[in-house]
Amino acid sequence: MTAPVLAVDDLSVEYPTRRGPARAVREVSFTVSRGETLAIIGESGSGKTTLAVALIGLSRAAHVTSGRILYTAADGSTEDVRTMEPDELRRWRWRECAMVFQAALNSFNPVLTIWDQFLDTARAHGMRDARQVRDRARELLDLVHLDAGRVLRAYPHELSGGMRQRVCIAVALLLRPQLVIFDEPTTALDILTQRAIIDLLRDLRAKLGFATIFISHDLSLAAELADRVLTMYAGRAVERASVSDLFYRPRHPYSVGLLRAVPRVSGALGSVASIPGSPPDLVRLPHGCTYHPRCPLVIDACKREEPALIPVDTPEHDARCIRWKAVAELVGTERRAVAEKLA
Amino acid sequence: MTAAAAGIGAARALPGWVESTVDFLRLLSRRPVGLLGLAGIVFFILFALVVPVFVPVLDATDVTAVYQGPSAAHPLGTDYAGRDVLNQLVHGGREILVTAALTGFLSTLTAVALGAIAATVGGKVDAVIVAVNDVVLTIPHFPVLVVAAALLRPDGVVVLALLLAALTWSALLRQIRAQVLSLRERDYIEAARALDLGLPHIVFREILPNMRSYIVIHFILGVTAAIYLIVGLVVLGLVPLSGKNWAITIYFAVNQGALYFRDSFLSIASPIAMIVLFQLSLVFFVSALEDIFDPRLRRS
Amino acid sequence: MTLLALERATRRFGTGAAAITAVDDVSLAVDRGEALCIVGESGCGKTTTGKMLAGLLRPSAGRLLFEGQDVWGGPRELFARFRRSVQLVHQDPYASLNPTRTVLQTLETPILRHRTRDRRVARATALELLEMVGLTPAPDMAAKYPHQLSGGQRQRVAIARALTVEPRAIVADEAVSMVDVSIRISLLDLLHGLATEFGVATVLITHDLAVARYFGREGRVAVMYLGRVVELAATEALVEDPAHPYTAALVGAVPEADPEITRGKTRVKLRSAEAPSLSALPSGCSFHPRCPLMEPGLCDVQVPELLPLPGTRDVACHVAVRERTPAAELLGAR
Repeated sequence: MTAPVLAVDDLSVEYPTRRGPARAVREVSFTVSRGETLAIIGESGSGKTTLAVALIGLSRAAHVTSGRILYTAADGSTEDVRTMEPDELRRWRWRECAMVFQAALNSFNPVLTIWDQFLDTARAHGMRDARQVRDRARELLDLVHLDAGRVLRAYPHELSGGMRQRVCIAVALLLRPQLVIFDEPTTALDILTQRAIIDLLRDLRAKLGFATIFISHDLSLAAELADRVLTMYAGRAVERASVSDLFYRPRHPYSVGLLRAVPRVSGALGSVASIPGSPPDLVRLPHGCTYHPRCPLVIDACKREEPALIPVDTPEHDARCIRWKAVAELVGTERRAVAEKLA
Repeated sequence: MTAAAAGIGAARALPGWVESTVDFLRLLSRRPVGLLGLAGIVFFILFALVVPVFVPVLDATDVTAVYQGPSAAHPLGTDYAGRDVLNQLVHGGREILVTAALTGFLSTLTAVALGAIAATVGGKVDAVIVAVNDVVLTIPHFPVLVVAAALLRPDGVVVLALLLAALTWSALLRQIRAQVLSLRERDYIEAARALDLGLPHIVFREILPNMRSYIVIHFILGVTAAIYLIVGLVVLGLVPLSGKNWAITIYFAVNQGALYFRDSFLSIASPIAMIVLFQLSLVFFVSALEDIFDPRLRRS
Repeated sequence: MTLLALERATRRFGTGAAAITAVDDVSLAVDRGEALCIVGESGCGKTTTGKMLAGLLRPSAGRLLFEGQDVWGGPRELFARFRRSVQLVHQDPYASLNPTRTVLQTLETPILRHRTRDRRVARATALELLEMVGLTPAPDMAAKYPHQLSGGQRQRVAIARALTVEPRAIVADEAVSMVDVSIRISLLDLLHGLATEFGVATVLITHDLAVARYFGREGRVAVMYLGRVVELAATEALVEDPAHPYTAALVGAVPEADPEITRGKTRVKLRSAEAPSLSALPSGCSFHPRCPLMEPGLCDVQVPELLPLPGTRDVACHVAVRERTPAAELLGAR
């Protein structure tokens, strides 16, 4: 088996607040194989965006306190992103690993046309030949189903949200990266536009074979596109599983809670419910398991010690919960939605 | 309203205003420039308003001691009439500070009242206020002030302050109006409308409290502007020179040949220094205030 | 009995060439204690419809009826009574509360203005409301400022504030879309409880079909597209068997938190991905440039009326009405 494109090992990130350091990401480990899609899901404050930004070395306020981010290039050479020189890091970003943010108007410079944005990105990465950039831009816009002739001349505000998101994706693919990180790529888009973007991403991934990391609070995005899912809670990876294990056989009570909190449109509604309480304060985390104040399966041992990420069911499935067997009893192994099974 | 807040707060914590004052001082303490500004303001208020109560006025002319350099008896030397410069400074601050503060207050009050009315009532009232404001805004202030001062001969603090305020409110009005217009669109204002809480409540309880910081900052900036106008008028000799203030000290120093005497430097430099330092304190303080009131910093 | 209704309401914004019609000829009614959802994408006019229902925007044409009486055309007393009877819950929990006022102040003011002069009574009522919306311990919560609360807690305060005047109806515009996924259901349950326990009619406006399905599970959903209601039906019927091609497209397209369902759904293939703009609406049925069932000469010419179909359902589509109406009825109509 070849080395994964990205192997994140015990990564911790803190950022300063007025009340002391907030531990936004704590000892998170995961791997992404070539061509694979990993979804990182969690609520606001779970640390998922801090994690994404730390992965590409862009964090300003936050600083990585420990861990390694090992990237393996197509030629097989492996390097730690954290130890790269600033120049090297800038080259690595975009050429090897691109990031697409939520399709907001402010991810574009409003006074530049889309063509200028392509050209700027290309120049910053050493593509000097404007004709070559133009050909590549046309090819990519074509790939994301946009009319290249019109779009290249347009200003960002002249495009709809969906079109802007397509442009973002095209710009990200400019230098043929091996890994693309998407931060909430469909949030704030309308349903039909969301659908179009999801279908586009699936299509592009099949054609170009890049590996993908999705960061989202939206479970349905993971259900649509992920091969594997990482659930984050209060800065910790609390569960790592294949997409079907996570959706049908979750073993962490938080994953179960999240799944029950999202009603479906098709199929039975089942037992839908919110998780009681609210996410913890990252500056003053609860003692023991950080989820224990909201957990319905809590026992005394949960309050004493923070559990480790341990294998459950299969070797590819881990959960950070000492009560995972109780969870397994509740939700079983059937390939049906959790809310439906708990009804 | 505050009574209700204090009523419920008292049982559990400090009253809101104590808490917010403590919070404010804590934030200020991290901004040395702002702290310096506040210290300066406190010093000048004490110097100009409290010290004069304990220090008698020394106004006796002493022709033998004209324009002396610093000495033990006269730490800042003497002026054209042989009077102690330090004594002149002690008694020359009150009038300027009070006039400037009053001007700032009156002009801010006018701008806030008219701006809020224009934005909330709208329609013809808004159109008239904006039109009047535009006229006042386009008038060149200083020439008008010169003419008005010559005609009215303002000889009291209140008259001068009224005159200055009448010309300075207009710059702020547009900004207040724009702010109120934007606040008016907020969801909580819409909710207040749906709850039928009435226009006075919406303006005074919902909108204006959200502009506190903005209003305070503009009041202070108004004070600095007023000081320059007062000093300008006095030094040009356009208002009666009966009183005693720093600007008058400068006026006489200039006109009584201080520029030509060897030891007269302090008698002209020290009132200028007072004015400059006071202005600097205000500007420093405002720059820290802008920082502190920034909602991105307040959200913890 | 119908509590609140829009009757052929239209709302235009702007004048001259820049004028757009945000809502066009919409009729909607809510009964006492009913939970109605209005679903649609951005620009469909759902928020404008909500504001007209709440009496915050006056229809450019058409009427708003409260207990059968014309709100805007009626006497002043009627408007005053209506004004307090219909309250709002906004989308953004960070913008819907005044940051300079404590929770108690926010709740007390409307009570003191409309229900009692006695401060102690007002305070007790406010605390009761806090308990009711699940903000406990109420005295602690009452002393807080909005910035000391989480998004979900603020939405609860907003709901309590709406309840201070004992409204008959609440219009909640995207009331859960900005709070964390894990607590949305509890807020929807709180709103739903108001309808079932106190008979408060609730209109939930949302872009999220799953939220509409959950909230409206016993009620109806109205689907809006470019300013018009295209389908109005009992919720389960609507999601299981959408009649309008736009509704069908939405139900098919919506990503779901279930890998097998969401990857295996049958989808409606639209003829165009981009929605037309409100300032240049297509002729005839405004969905026709995207609609897979489009019939030239009919759909691009004639605007479809919202017509009743068998069952609890109204739909505005020439093709769906023709195909779903039993032949006998069609013949009888002629």
